[in-house]
Amino acid sequence: MKLIELKDVKKTFQDGRKTIEALKPTNFSVEEGEFVAVIGPSGSGKSTFLTIIGGLQTPTEGNVFIREDKFSELDEKERAKKRFDEIGFILQASNLIPFLTVKDQLKLVNKIEKSKLDEDKVQNLLSELGIDHLMDKYPSDLSGGEKQRAAIARAMYHNPAVILADEPTASLDTDRAFEVVEILARETKKEKKATIMVTHDERLTDYCDAVYTMKDGVLTKNQKK
Amino acid sequence: MFLAWREIKYSKTRFALIIGVVILIAYLVFFLTGLAYGLAQENRMSIDKWDSDGIVLADESNLNINMSMFPKEQIDDIEASEKASLGVASSVVQPADESDEESKINVTFFGIDKEEFIFPEVVEGEEFESNREVIADISLREEEGIEIGDELSLAGMDLTVEIVGFTENAKFSVGPVLYTNHPTYQEIRASGFGEREEEIISAIVVRSDSEELADVETNSEDLNVYSTSEFISNLPGYTAQVLTFGLMIGFLVLIAAMIIGIFIYVLTLQKSSMLGVMKAQGISSSYIAKSVIGQTFLLSFIGVFTGLGLTLLTGLLLPATVPYQNNFIFLASITSLLIIVAVAGAFFSVRTVVNIDPLEAID
Repeated sequence: MKLIELKDVKKTFQDGRKTIEALKPTNFSVEEGEFVAVIGPSGSGKSTFLTIIGGLQTPTEGNVFIREDKFSELDEKERAKKRFDEIGFILQASNLIPFLTVKDQLKLVNKIEKSKLDEDKVQNLLSELGIDHLMDKYPSDLSGGEKQRAAIARAMYHNPAVILADEPTASLDTDRAFEVVEILARETKKEKKATIMVTHDERLTDYCDAVYTMKDGVLTKNQKK
Repeated sequence: MFLAWREIKYSKTRFALIIGVVILIAYLVFFLTGLAYGLAQENRMSIDKWDSDGIVLADESNLNINMSMFPKEQIDDIEASEKASLGVASSVVQPADESDEESKINVTFFGIDKEEFIFPEVVEGEEFESNREVIADISLREEEGIEIGDELSLAGMDLTVEIVGFTENAKFSVGPVLYTNHPTYQEIRASGFGEREEEIISAIVVRSDSEELADVETNSEDLNVYSTSEFISNLPGYTAQVLTFGLMIGFLVLIAAMIIGIFIYVLTLQKSSMLGVMKAQGISSSYIAKSVIGQTFLLSFIGVFTGLGLTLLTGLLLPATVPYQNNFIFLASITSLLIIVAVAGAFFSVRTVVNIDPLEAID
């Protein structure tokens, strides 16, 4: 099943009298359990691509589907709701809330949907990621790798269809970076997510099922090495 | 409230400082209110004590009771369900065995009839029986140490009166009232005006059974009926003083709203990148806004109630000479007003929250 699909998606910006095509017409899809990487220099349209998938902006033309539901035509509020339910974000600078403990980061999700915290689920998820002993620590007490693992936990907790990782290893040394990407790949398979990772570090793509390159708004699939 | 409370617990120092400022403002507002109310009370307490509806004064007195005088027999010209004659004279008294300046006290004498309704309830001692006996406001004992049986001499006159009893809440123009009978009152007031044959009084206090004193009639052109509230607001300085305090308190409440609003606004701006991330994750603006408002409510609630507690405590410790008095209706309404305006101030920040673009979290 295609968890995420882009059909003829195009994004243009108006810059004065010039029209800039940030994303040329693109077709793209990710199956469940698939881990894809998008690499490319900055300014290539990677961010535009990611924010359109994440529903933070709408395409000028074409449609985005999540679990085969049209996503890009919902209004702002419904998109936010869908984003909350179906998309887990992992951002470069950690997207953790500084004044919440690791456990409370997850509990916030329950608070928003007015449900009860599932202690077992939290315990399992955190031990899976090797950070269950850090449950009651604040983000400022965690190392970079631990923060990103907590961010993965936050993204996975809600059982979304899609995980979007924007430079998740930017602030990590090589060993930690490999570790985080490995966890991401493992969880994608195990939990049957569609994971899209945007990165500039080509070495990390060893764990990915497919690698795309973004250049000047054009997305092309790389040949498997 | 989940986020709001977690954040307060995490950034203790920052929020303690904000709460501290709220406490100080609330304390100031409450304290000023207590003083304003106390002072207003000391102007009018003895009038409220009458539980009257109206007062008859001489027409040319311009509602100033000190300038009003007319013969006592004119009480027969007034028709009302209940009426009481009242003579008012300000004076300076001094314990009879002392002579220094320090021991002089400004008082107001009320000349009254024992049988009429404005006669005060005696809480200690006895009612006056004969001439030159007085019932005094209890503050004379609390502030000046005067006891039952003490003699007071009137400044500039060869006249002494004896304290036979005390009553409560008997203050007029921020000074204690001494109640005495009409013959003694005539002696006191005559000091300034020479002997007069007829008995002179200042006012007739009336109670009425119908609204707006409709059943009170004067059959004399020289006399006029005023409602008690009109009389009170025309007490010299009373309205000016109440307005002054009222304005100060009003402005302080506004300033409190602005200060809390600005604090919350700055905090929200500081957090805007984090809020952007939250919005990118699909957390709705309304959830975040509710959390901001909830946090303001918590801060102002804690601050205002601590301020209230401190004020009540201060009230207990103040010496009797400070005209501080609690009025629970005022305290309750100012408490809720402060919290409401603080929360209203936080609505500034809601706009900021709504305008934060989650796109910025990604770029």
